[in-house]
Amino acid sequence: MATEVTLRAPGAAANPLRAGLDSNRIVDPCTIVFFGASGDLTKRMLIPAMYNLRLGDVLPTSFAIIGFSRSDKSHYDFREEMKEAIDQFSRSGPAKDPLWSDFAERMHYIQGSFDDVESFKELKRQLEENDEKLGTAGNRLYYLATPPGIFATVIQQLAAVGLGPKDQAQGWSRVIVEKPFGTDLESARALQAEVTKVFDEKQVYRIDHYLGKEPVQDIMALRFANVMFEPIWNRLYVDCIQITAAETVGVEGRGGYYEHAGALRDMIQNHVMNLLALVAMEPPISPHADHIRDEKFKVLSALRPIAEDEVARVTARGQYGPGLIEGKPVPGYREEESVDPNSITETYACVKFFVDNWRWADVPFYLRSGKRLARKHSEIAVKFRGIPHRIFGEAGDQIETNTLVMKIQPEEGVSIRFNAKIPGPKMHIRGVTMDFNYGTGFGVVSAPAYERLIGDAMRGDATLFTRWDAVECAWVAVMPVLNRWTEPRQVDFPNYLAGSQGPQPADALLVADGREWRRI
Amino acid sequence: MSLHLDSPTDTNAILAQLDRSRHAGGDPGTRVVTMNFVVFVDDPAHRVWVLLRAQLVAQKHPSRLIVLDSTNATSGVEVSTATRENGGATIVNERVQIGVSTLDHRSIISLVHELSVPDIETVLWWSGARLLQSRTFSGIANHAGTVLVDSSGKARGEETIRELGEFLSWFPSVALRDLAFMRLMPWQDMIAQFFDDPALREDLFSIEGLEIESGSDAEALYLAGWLGSRLSWEIAERDAFRDRSGRRIPFTKIDKGDQRRVGSVVLRSRDSVYRAALSEADPHVVALSVEGAKATAVRYVPLQNVGNTSLIERAILENAHDRIFETSLLTVRELLG
Repeated sequence: MATEVTLRAPGAAANPLRAGLDSNRIVDPCTIVFFGASGDLTKRMLIPAMYNLRLGDVLPTSFAIIGFSRSDKSHYDFREEMKEAIDQFSRSGPAKDPLWSDFAERMHYIQGSFDDVESFKELKRQLEENDEKLGTAGNRLYYLATPPGIFATVIQQLAAVGLGPKDQAQGWSRVIVEKPFGTDLESARALQAEVTKVFDEKQVYRIDHYLGKEPVQDIMALRFANVMFEPIWNRLYVDCIQITAAETVGVEGRGGYYEHAGALRDMIQNHVMNLLALVAMEPPISPHADHIRDEKFKVLSALRPIAEDEVARVTARGQYGPGLIEGKPVPGYREEESVDPNSITETYACVKFFVDNWRWADVPFYLRSGKRLARKHSEIAVKFRGIPHRIFGEAGDQIETNTLVMKIQPEEGVSIRFNAKIPGPKMHIRGVTMDFNYGTGFGVVSAPAYERLIGDAMRGDATLFTRWDAVECAWVAVMPVLNRWTEPRQVDFPNYLAGSQGPQPADALLVADGREWRRI
Repeated sequence: MSLHLDSPTDTNAILAQLDRSRHAGGDPGTRVVTMNFVVFVDDPAHRVWVLLRAQLVAQKHPSRLIVLDSTNATSGVEVSTATRENGGATIVNERVQIGVSTLDHRSIISLVHELSVPDIETVLWWSGARLLQSRTFSGIANHAGTVLVDSSGKARGEETIRELGEFLSWFPSVALRDLAFMRLMPWQDMIAQFFDDPALREDLFSIEGLEIESGSDAEALYLAGWLGSRLSWEIAERDAFRDRSGRRIPFTKIDKGDQRRVGSVVLRSRDSVYRAALSEADPHVVALSVEGAKATAVRYVPLQNVGNTSLIERAILENAHDRIFETSLLTVRELLG
């Protein structure tokens, strides 16, 4: 078993100059390896995130980056390509010397095929050279930014050349796995079996960039750093919870991937289920990663199973046709590149879940996600029950039920909708909104999720990453829906216009319960 | 919406105007005020700089901004409110700017008390030349939760820092913040970085010399005071400390560069020299190097300079005592004698 080398305890605690200094710097030296280094994710998100971590002085003193991909290029070409990516996509603008030169010198590139063991031997050689020349101390973070089908191959190859954590004489190894973790329950379990042959669960960081967003982290702060919400956060006061992840974009050139994914796999099974877990979980006993993840697991394992014959009653799906987004015409899904003209892949999914526990018994959780909707908008809305007895308000006044909304994107904040008396001699009642916005409330701009999450993985903080038991539970929960939806049958697609609120069956699902969706 | 009043002491009229101004743009709905932000300015050359930053802070944080202008540039009282839509809610900011150059300290203190929203935090940003010698300052500080000053700059110097030292004993319950010290955080972090490496940490206890280059006094003094207080150095004389083993540590202050900016910090140990200096290629980058027995390659670190407006915001948001600052300040005060 490898010995973990960490400078954290002696480095930070024993330096008397550190007292009172609020530093986010990662202490452990490390090399981070990006598999899929020629891909869009690496260029648009990962390398700009790394550079911004450097600009923020968050990276450790000794760090290195290795790009691994099939494309044939030199170290120099890779550095130039990544500089262009930073210049184009970094939130802090173009890369400049002397920091860029210093950053670039720590970047190397390995050209190779994922199933070629020789390429991995070359990777090992480069890692050892980094340890010796750049002081990275044997600590390795592998980032699988590859298509999901290659995850297992990469992990097997790492083990084959002695780069698995069990082979290390010193230092730690961790692996970041991009979503989706499997394409269904069976494939997820198979992938997990391959991963755990090489890495322990504590060394696996399943990334869900939604969890890196500041408002998502604030869900726990709102609930557990305040006393006024928890007493009413239960079936006695909550009528229902609506979780929305709406996008205006289409498949953005990823039609090939999306055809095999769909909204249920792409969004509901991971991002949206994670939000459900955070909003429904019991208070953890500490902020420790495993204490939080234990509570999330309990919620997901309490989801009431959906019988396949009730799928039609508790779910709805849709596919967008042509329409208008921000006044501009956009094609329908079936007209998108690499999409089957008769595709039955859903671009919109909504599911009604119940959490069968003491707190949430019979409170419906409505989850929805879709592409090409009216607005880019993600939120969790906690809708409270109505007042038990009406004493105020004139006959025509509508007494609204209270709603607490956690806004995730693009707005980030919290709003509360409650009733107030309209000034005047009569007791007219009107709904008003009290709003908190991160940007104006704290005067700071949240760092992009990838910066936060890569930094956390380098620190070894798994709080914002998804543990296997939660992934498995989420797959178990959606499998009956997935099975039903993948049956070959006639589907009336497309069934919603691009730029609309979504398909009519989704509205009907709530209307049948005597409720309605919040407007997107 | 902006309105003018001639009499600066008629607080009822001012509050009434404020109310009218608030409603002039229609019903603002829910009104949130999180602090009274009192700003005093008496230097005409500095006035616009201060007012602009005060306004920027007040715009972000729903507040009642009370500007006490002692420069003769404001006559009477200007009352204004600004509203902005934010996610469906209306944020209201209130501003009262009063010309106080002809008012005595009692009137000014009374004005501040009567115009402040009760039961919320009062933050005083004092950019006046005199501190404790000013009865206005003492009167307002007594009712503030946080007092913010800037001991850096041409008009400032050792006397300001001496007064701040006194302030701590006069107003023990008030959180004091000095922008000059807050600006040094990136430099403190960079110096600390050298000694995060356990292999170099012992050198921290064998420092034999300290040299700081800066454009104004406060920065060099505060950095020296911070190092001295963290490492339990005693004051040997005006330009030297003494460590716990009794070794004398000369402190050289080099006046060079832009106001409010540090150029370099050099720490000499028995066998190595630790140097943090602004890069010649990019003034926003600092080169960290160790020369001598424990030599390391030069490492470039981005200088995480925080803008003055953000520093003011930070002081407001962290409305608690900063013990590291306070012990550094007391060390500097002792150094100055």
